[in-house]
Amino acid sequence: MSVEQQEQAAAEWLAREDRGLTAQEHAAMQAWLDESSLNRVAYLRLKGAWIRADRLAALRAPRRAALARAGVGLPHWGLLAAAALLLALVAGGAFHFLNGHFLNWDFLNRPQPLAQTYVTPVGANQQVRLADGSRMELNTDTRVHAEVTSTSRTVTLDSGEAYFDVVHDAARPFMVYAGNRRITDLGTRFSVYRKGEDVRVTVQEGRVRVDLLDSPTPTAPVVAEAGHAVIARGAETLLISKSPHDIANELSWRSGMLVFNQQTLAEAAEQFNRYNRQRIVVEGSARKIRIGGSFKEDNVAGFAALLHQGFGLTVSRRGDDIIVSR
Amino acid sequence: MDERDAGRQVDDWFMRDVLPLEAALTRFLQRNWRQPAEIADLRQETYARAYEAGLRERPKQVKPFLFQIARNLMIDRLRRQSVVSLETMADFEWANVSDDAPSLESRVAARQQLRQLQHALDDLPPRCRQIIVMRKIEGLSQKEVAQRMGIAVDTVENQVAKGVRLLAQALGGRRGALASQARRYNFFRKSRDVR
Repeated sequence: MSVEQQEQAAAEWLAREDRGLTAQEHAAMQAWLDESSLNRVAYLRLKGAWIRADRLAALRAPRRAALARAGVGLPHWGLLAAAALLLALVAGGAFHFLNGHFLNWDFLNRPQPLAQTYVTPVGANQQVRLADGSRMELNTDTRVHAEVTSTSRTVTLDSGEAYFDVVHDAARPFMVYAGNRRITDLGTRFSVYRKGEDVRVTVQEGRVRVDLLDSPTPTAPVVAEAGHAVIARGAETLLISKSPHDIANELSWRSGMLVFNQQTLAEAAEQFNRYNRQRIVVEGSARKIRIGGSFKEDNVAGFAALLHQGFGLTVSRRGDDIIVSR
Repeated sequence: MDERDAGRQVDDWFMRDVLPLEAALTRFLQRNWRQPAEIADLRQETYARAYEAGLRERPKQVKPFLFQIARNLMIDRLRRQSVVSLETMADFEWANVSDDAPSLESRVAARQQLRQLQHALDDLPPRCRQIIVMRKIEGLSQKEVAQRMGIAVDTVENQVAKGVRLLAQALGGRRGALASQARRYNFFRKSRDVR
């Protein structure tokens, strides 16, 4: 029986009881109540409200006045509060939107110097417009050096992750150096993530070529098109196909969100740790739990609390770290 | 003390100590569960478990006890889903959930409760309100109400059934509606952020 049906049945019993039960009805009602606790609590809930309504008798004397101005005391209030809340949320949202995604680009319309190093601290994000009009967006904890001349455009990714929206110019190839790889733009939007010697290139639009630089023997470059990612480690290169949805998830950092889709908790923690000084350490079998969802990248406390409350995992502190285990 | 008496005592305990927490419980569920359509179901299941636990032993602190049941229930349901999605739960609010949060709602002062009831009464459909007024304020029986209004007792009974549901709803969850609206908006905003 649905909650709705249960409540209706309970209401009918209560109304019958209020009218006066026959012995037979009384027995039938007791049987219904004993049938399940859900029946009983549905009845008691209504009974509680009905008993509380006895207080209305206190309105007996000034009742007509009270009922005359009947209608909407609280509803108006409720509506006002709702409107105010909505307004606050909309205003907050608009501010967030402008602040995070519009202003920075426009602010930085002025092209940057020809050669420059850019560094973002943990948790920060920076957008840069290069001298050739190409745009670069740096994720947390990232260091890049960009150099634009009349004949070449090179960016060196020392660490971290950057997204590139390149103005194509066949005469001046746009190249990103990351570890032992060179990524050459062939008219495109892509991101490059470097962690130690691992390099990951995600192509959102167009094509890029990925070259291995320090190979003793010549190796064929890998060309990755939109919807693909290149994962490189040492001399190994893996080209994998990604759905538009996966690509969007991988680039979600650009809007301050972490998106998980069937990642393990260990991987999710690693992602959070890129953005925050307070680290999440997942131990034991909890590392293998798979999760989905989207989170503000700095909401470590909320994430940890959710793991505790939602999954029943143990969450404790060790120094500044948050330890998560079964 | 026979079984019936024990049952009656638990009934009284449930109405006196558990039900006044309904608004708080509803908000708690709304904050932590993404499907608004399932809130009433979760609430009733929480009540049923609380009632059954109350038959065995009644807790000293009702609110933490009730919220713990609600939390365990949500966890049980999540675990039964084959793919656990954190989207099922509103992710930001867990951190703020505290059993010790000041419970404005736990014992609404008598006057405030009267005002709340009055608003609930004002919101009833006119005919239903008229019948509840005669029954509860003027203290007439259902039969007397029927005679006064010149309608069948069955009609009065049906209106009482309808009225009590609406009163219970108004007493238990009005503020909850706002919270869920805010939460849904927030969720919408988040989904847009993720391109």
